Amino acid sequence: MTAAYARALAIAVLIVALLAVPFVLPAFGATFWVSIATEILIWSLLAASVNLLLGYVGLLSFGQALYFGIGMYGVALSINAWNVGFWPALAIGIVAASVMALLTGVFAVRLTWHYFAIITVVFSLIFYFAAMSMKGVTGGDDGVSFSPPPVLKLGELELTLVDATTQYYVVLGVVLACYVLTALIVNSPLGLAFKAIRENDRRAALIGINVYRTRLIAFVIAGALAGTSGALFAFFGRYASASYMFYHVSGEAVVWAIVGGAGSLLGPLFGAGALIVFRELVSTLWEHYLIAVGAITICVVMFAPRGLAGAWNDALRLAFTRIPDEPARRDAFDRRNASEGGEAAAIIEEKR
Amino acid sequence: MNELVFALAVNGLVWGLIIALIALGLSIIFGLLDVINVAHGDFFMLGTVGGLVVATSTGSFWLALAVVPLIGLVLGAVIERMVIRPTLRQASLTIVTTFGLSMIIQEMVRAIYGPQPRRMAAPIEGTVPLFGIDYEVYRICAAVFAALFLVAFFLFLNRTKLGTWIRAVRHDPETATTLGIPVAQVSGFTFALGTAMALLGGVIAAPITTVEFRTGVDVLPFCFMAVIIGGLGNLQGTVAAAIMLAVLEGLVTSVTEPTIARIVSLAFMSVVLLVRPHGLFAGATR
Repeated sequence: MTAAYARALAIAVLIVALLAVPFVLPAFGATFWVSIATEILIWSLLAASVNLLLGYVGLLSFGQALYFGIGMYGVALSINAWNVGFWPALAIGIVAASVMALLTGVFAVRLTWHYFAIITVVFSLIFYFAAMSMKGVTGGDDGVSFSPPPVLKLGELELTLVDATTQYYVVLGVVLACYVLTALIVNSPLGLAFKAIRENDRRAALIGINVYRTRLIAFVIAGALAGTSGALFAFFGRYASASYMFYHVSGEAVVWAIVGGAGSLLGPLFGAGALIVFRELVSTLWEHYLIAVGAITICVVMFAPRGLAGAWNDALRLAFTRIPDEPARRDAFDRRNASEGGEAAAIIEEKR
Repeated sequence: MNELVFALAVNGLVWGLIIALIALGLSIIFGLLDVINVAHGDFFMLGTVGGLVVATSTGSFWLALAVVPLIGLVLGAVIERMVIRPTLRQASLTIVTTFGLSMIIQEMVRAIYGPQPRRMAAPIEGTVPLFGIDYEVYRICAAVFAALFLVAFFLFLNRTKLGTWIRAVRHDPETATTLGIPVAQVSGFTFALGTAMALLGGVIAAPITTVEFRTGVDVLPFCFMAVIIGGLGNLQGTVAAAIMLAVLEGLVTSVTEPTIARIVSLAFMSVVLLVRPHGLFAGATR
C-alpha cells in the first residue's frame, strides 16, 4: 500500500462518515450535532473560496464575506420577491455572487499581495456599509427572513428543510459537488496555470499564460464558492443579514483555511470543522474562548504553516516511505517542499 | 446650517489629527517590517480603555497620558518579539497573525473590562465660542496634543540617531546591516513605537469617543484609508491624507448620513489604490 492508496482510502472513509452523520450522531443522543455538522459543511465552502485564492493562485483575500453576503441576499430576496423554488433561489444566489465577484475582481486582481488583501477588504466594507444603510431592502443588521420553499415536490412526496436530516443531505450534496468541481478545476490545465502564477507570475506570463485573466477566473470561481456557502447558510438560518458581510467573517474564513492547510483541497473542511467543533465544545464552558482561537491561529502560522492537511500529508509520508539513505532523504525533502502542502508555505515566503 | 457644517468640519479636523497619529504608527510598521497590522485598531482601543482606567483610578488624566503610551511601548516590544518576529519570513501571513492578535486583545478586554460601552468625562470642562458655536474646549486641546506629538515624532525621526537608524533600515535593511545598525532591534523598536502611538491616540481620543472593546474595529479601516491614500510608507502623505479624509467625511456628513460619507471615502480609496498605488502624493516626496 502506498500513500496514494492511503489517501484514496481516507477520502472514501471521510465520505462514508459524512453520509453516516445523521444516523450515527442521533444514535448517541447528539441530534443537535447534526445541525452543527451541516453548519461546518456550509462554512467550509467559504474557507474553500479563500483557499482557492490563497493556496492555488497565491492571492490573500480578506473580503470573501462580500460574496457570502450576496449569496445570502440572492436567496432571501428572490424568494420574498418572486416566490421562486429552492433550486432557482440557490442558483440566483450563486450567480449574483459570481457577477459581483466579476465586477469587483476586474479591479481587484490588478493588484497583488498587500494591496490585493486591502482592496478586497475595502470592497467588502463598501458594500457592507451600503447594505447597512439600505435598511428598506436588506433589513440592515436585523436582516430579512423568509420561509424556505420545499427542496423537491413529486406528487405526495415532499422534501423540506424543516427535517434536519433532509437539510443535512441537501447541504452535503451541494457541498460535495462544489468540492468535486474544485478538484476537477485545480487538476485541469487551468489549475496548472493557477499554480504557475502562484509560484512565479512573471515566469507564468513569459510562457504565455494570461496572468490577469487567469487570476480573474480564479476570483470569480472563488466568489461562486463563497456565494454557494452564503446561499446555503441563508437556507440554513432562514434569513439573510448584512452583518455577515463584515470583514470579521472574511477573517474567520481565512483562519479556517490556514488552520486547515492552504493549498490542500480538503484543508478548509478540516479547518472549519476543527474550529467550529472547538467553538461548540468550549464556548459553553468558557465565554471568552475567542482568546484561544486567536492563540491557535498564531501558533498554526508560527509552527505549522501548512495546517492540519500539511500535518496529515507528512504523517502519511512518514508511514509509507522507507527510510532512505542520506542523499535520497535530502532529495525526498526537496520534493516534499515542492509538492502539494509545501507549496502554500513556499509561495508565502516567495512573494516578499 | 452654516454653523453645523463648520462644527462638523472642525470635528473632522480634530479627528483627523488623532487618526494621523494612529495611522503614522501603522505606516511606520508597514514601511519597516512589511507587516499589515490588523490589530492596530485594537491597540488604539487599548489606549482608550487604558486611559479611562488609569484616569479614573488615579484621578489624573495627565498621568494616563504619560503612562499608557509607555505601557504600549513595552507591550509592542513584547508582541513584536513573541508574535511578529517569528512570522516575519511569511510577510503576508502576518495579516493572519495580527488578526489572531486582534481577536485575543478584544476578547481579553471584554473579559476583564466588561462588554458595556462607557464614556469618559473630559479632563478640561467647558466650551468656548468659536465662529458662532459653543465648542468643547477639550476637543481643541486634543487637536493641539495630537499636533504636538506629530511634530515631536517627525523631529525624532529626522533629528535623532535612532530616528535616522529607523529611516535607514526602512530605506535599505541590507546596507543598514553593513553599516553596523542593529536591524532586528531597530525593527522591534519601530513596532513598539507604532504600538505606543496607537495607544497615545487612544488616550487622547478617550474623552471624545465611546470606550469599549469594539472601538478599534471602526478606527482600523479609517487608518488604512489614510495610509493607502497617503501612500503606503509615505509618512507625511499619511498625515495629510488623514486630515483631508476626516474633514471630507465631516463635510459629507453635514449633507447626508455618516455611512454614505464612509462609503464615499472608501470608494475614493479604491480609486487611489488602483490608479496611484503609491498614494496620492507619490512623486512629491519620492
